[in-house]
Amino acid sequence: MMIFCRSFNRLLLGAVAALMILSGCAASLPEYPDQLDYPELTFHLPEVETLVLANGIQLYLKEDKELPLVQMTAMIGSGSMTTPAEKIGFADLFGNTWRAGGAGERTPEELDAYLDYLAADLSAAMGPYTTQLELSLRSEDLEQGVAVLGDLLLRPSFAEERLELERLQAQEQLRRQNDNPGVISRRLLMAALYPNHYLGYSPTPETLAAVTRQDLIDFQQRYFAPNNLWIAVSGDFDRENLLKILNDNFGAWPKRQVPQQQPPVVMRPESGSIQLAVKDLPQTTIVIGDLGLTKDHPDQYAVRVLNYILGGGGFNSRMMREIRSNRGLAYSAYSYFQVGRRLPGPFVAGTETKNASVLPAISLMREIMADLRNNPVNEDELQLAKESQINSFVFGFENTHAVVSQQMTLDFFDYPQDYLARYREHIAAVTASDVQRAAREFINLSRQQIVLVGDPQEFGKELVELGLPIVEVELDKPR
Amino acid sequence: MKQQNVLIIMLLVAILACFGGPAFASSTLEEKVFEHQFANGLQLLVVERHDTPVVSAYITIGVGSVHETSEMRGVAHLLEHMLFKGTKTLGTTDYQKEKSILEEIEKVGSKLDALRLQDDADPSRVAALEQGLATLQAEHKQYVVKDVFSRIYSENGGVGYNAFTSKDLTSYLISLPSNKLELWALIESDRMKNPVLREFYTERDVIREERRRSYDTNPPRRHYETLMANAFTVHPYRNPIIGWHSDIANLSPQKTREFLQKYYAPVNTVIALVGDVKAADAVALVERYFADIEPGTPVPVVAAAEPEQNGEKRITEIFDAEPRLAIAWHKPTMPHQDDYVFDLIDQILGSGRTSRLYRSLVEEQQLATSVSVYGAPGSRYPNLFVIEAVPRHPHTTDELETAIYAELDKLKNELVDETELNKVRNRLVTDQLRQLDSNSGLARLLTSYQSLADDWRYLATYTREIEKLSAEEIKAVANKYLTSANRTVVVLKREAAL
Repeated sequence: MMIFCRSFNRLLLGAVAALMILSGCAASLPEYPDQLDYPELTFHLPEVETLVLANGIQLYLKEDKELPLVQMTAMIGSGSMTTPAEKIGFADLFGNTWRAGGAGERTPEELDAYLDYLAADLSAAMGPYTTQLELSLRSEDLEQGVAVLGDLLLRPSFAEERLELERLQAQEQLRRQNDNPGVISRRLLMAALYPNHYLGYSPTPETLAAVTRQDLIDFQQRYFAPNNLWIAVSGDFDRENLLKILNDNFGAWPKRQVPQQQPPVVMRPESGSIQLAVKDLPQTTIVIGDLGLTKDHPDQYAVRVLNYILGGGGFNSRMMREIRSNRGLAYSAYSYFQVGRRLPGPFVAGTETKNASVLPAISLMREIMADLRNNPVNEDELQLAKESQINSFVFGFENTHAVVSQQMTLDFFDYPQDYLARYREHIAAVTASDVQRAAREFINLSRQQIVLVGDPQEFGKELVELGLPIVEVELDKPR
Repeated sequence: MKQQNVLIIMLLVAILACFGGPAFASSTLEEKVFEHQFANGLQLLVVERHDTPVVSAYITIGVGSVHETSEMRGVAHLLEHMLFKGTKTLGTTDYQKEKSILEEIEKVGSKLDALRLQDDADPSRVAALEQGLATLQAEHKQYVVKDVFSRIYSENGGVGYNAFTSKDLTSYLISLPSNKLELWALIESDRMKNPVLREFYTERDVIREERRRSYDTNPPRRHYETLMANAFTVHPYRNPIIGWHSDIANLSPQKTREFLQKYYAPVNTVIALVGDVKAADAVALVERYFADIEPGTPVPVVAAAEPEQNGEKRITEIFDAEPRLAIAWHKPTMPHQDDYVFDLIDQILGSGRTSRLYRSLVEEQQLATSVSVYGAPGSRYPNLFVIEAVPRHPHTTDELETAIYAELDKLKNELVDETELNKVRNRLVTDQLRQLDSNSGLARLLTSYQSLADDWRYLATYTREIEKLSAEEIKAVANKYLTSANRTVVVLKREAAL
């Protein structure tokens, strides 16, 4: 019957005929998902071509002719991790001024006009470990686009007037840093998790003022070299033509020694605390955090499964189910482990709830966390968390540029060669006791930092029940 | 399910505004889109892309908050949440037994809502009903299989399982490994045929929290909400998609069911499947699962018409945040000729570093840190042209406003030159291509246009219309609409700064 319906429905598009057949057919439709048989999914990891040019530039290429566009990422393997405390804010000032400050023969205005004329999208950003340019343009403009990248990498101008403009913008952003409770809570949490460390610092007017144009130039001169440059290209390009253009623009750039950056050590905060930032709002933002792990930790796959069950799996997570779905206490309830490339990244769990239900929400979060430490997760939950991550793996490869830039990033950070190939296998091998071990290592209630932003009139007194020291944080109003 | 109502519609409007350009990309798209209409009115659009074995599915119902009346503001969005709760077969351990408890819950909940509206309500009676409701809800739990759609999609590798409600329409989306497409058909057809609005009162509380999170504590979105609520006097575009607190608190299962039964029907529905799927297979699959649903009746046209605005409206919104400025002018919507012109004006004034407002306000005068220009809040009915700007201390919103009007005067008095027009057209063409890149993004565009313009091919004709527009028309439109009498100005700032 089902086969009959399947093969004939394609032909029966007329209204009456279709309705007649379908009324007969409806009875045979499966009602439950487990009645379905799925064809085998054929999926192979996409190939990315990698090559190293004579002067050390590492290239990652993948053609995709669907749209007449090209996307490029140019990555310098050095970043903001060595920024001194008195110059925090350097990273954004560098990225923004690099992008906006002109390059080669072009003044800032001329470069902006040229890129807009090409309808190109260009952005620049500095992270802790790398400094990147992203460029998207029409394939017919590839040569012009690579030339712009060449100018920016070899001949950036960092025009003084643009640095000053970016500095003014950053200072205004500082004035506005207490406008939004989500922004406040993240800033306070990172400061608590990474005390006296660049990962925890945020800029002040003084540190922004301390950054000079010479600092930008020094960074570029110290770290920009072909043997410290990684380029990923995807889209509609001709390989030979691209290599020629790259050679024309970068071939004469000589190799040279680039200083190694050493990330400063992270000191784990020893005991937990509650920071309370008072803001006259009808809802309190709650974030709970601790230091997490790096990509080299043997339990990283167990942590992925743990996090899914805790608060990373959306409606399938315990936090979402208990806080939102069962009790209606919040709209969002989430957790994540940001797996650090070189230093332990943060573990964060959070929610937002009306002021009157702050303590119940925090208590629920802590109960869920304690339970994950104290008891093995049940088989059903474990399977769901694993299946979800295994079966959705294929979505990591939907976007061609994500594929090439991911390969580049994995190589840059020295991930194992078979990292992607074995990813699903590693997830599949996680057991309930692995998850519990990970929970015991990374979820430690007495060590966690809690940040609350809201109006404590309705919950302030109850907070002492949590048995953690409470620090009230003054949110300055800019004047 | 996400709170993105406003954001999404702003994006959508931005997408509509960006979707232009000459025939190249449009013709490619025209060749790629396969369309089919089923006997019950359901429309299907398919784009085959076989590079990766994944498929994105969008179901868009042509009903949104604009179709609500004052007794049920917020219901389109609440219904969207409720449709995540399962069906008569999925999400329950025994629907027959569950049904009678659900009816009890509804009775007690309705009584409680009615009582809460009375000023002189006896607190002990309220407390007793609250207790009664809690007991019933606890009893109901035994029949609930929690968040079942989410679970099934996830274990099968689904990503981006979500829904959003806008002023004009409601969409349900998921991306799956392509071998699991039949699972989508099973779940979504069941959701259309047999939804059960379980856990209603808890979900209403969730939406109150969503409102607090997304509007009551968020300065830019509160600002936007105030702008919309004041720019319109009559048209329902004035109402927030999520509803005001008192709206949400008084929505009932009955109102929600009625909205569902009235509007969620094949004649109002467009499906797009983009990815590793064959068009013929898609037609057969959708036929098999959806074709037995009754056609239903079309969503009626909103009769309320916004009267002409006869003078500037000026509003202050007090909020504990640094100042922000937003200005809105009434304008027609697509397919009105002037709407195309506004898309060019958006670009000229606000798109990119060389746009006029960025150059003038941010770079040259350094009065602002950002400026954005967009159309809002929907596209089905006449809407607004909006300019938002963030002043840079010590400059004020007043200075910013004066500087913006000076730029608008240039647009009204001088013709845009050909170089600038070309730049803007070029940007529209290229951004159109960028929009086509992701399966999910393309599925969204196709269903949106099909629903809003009755034909996704609007994209192609749009391109040709844009090409025809002249500098004279830009000048004329600027003079016609960007007047002081037609504008609403909202400043958000702290009380102390008054």
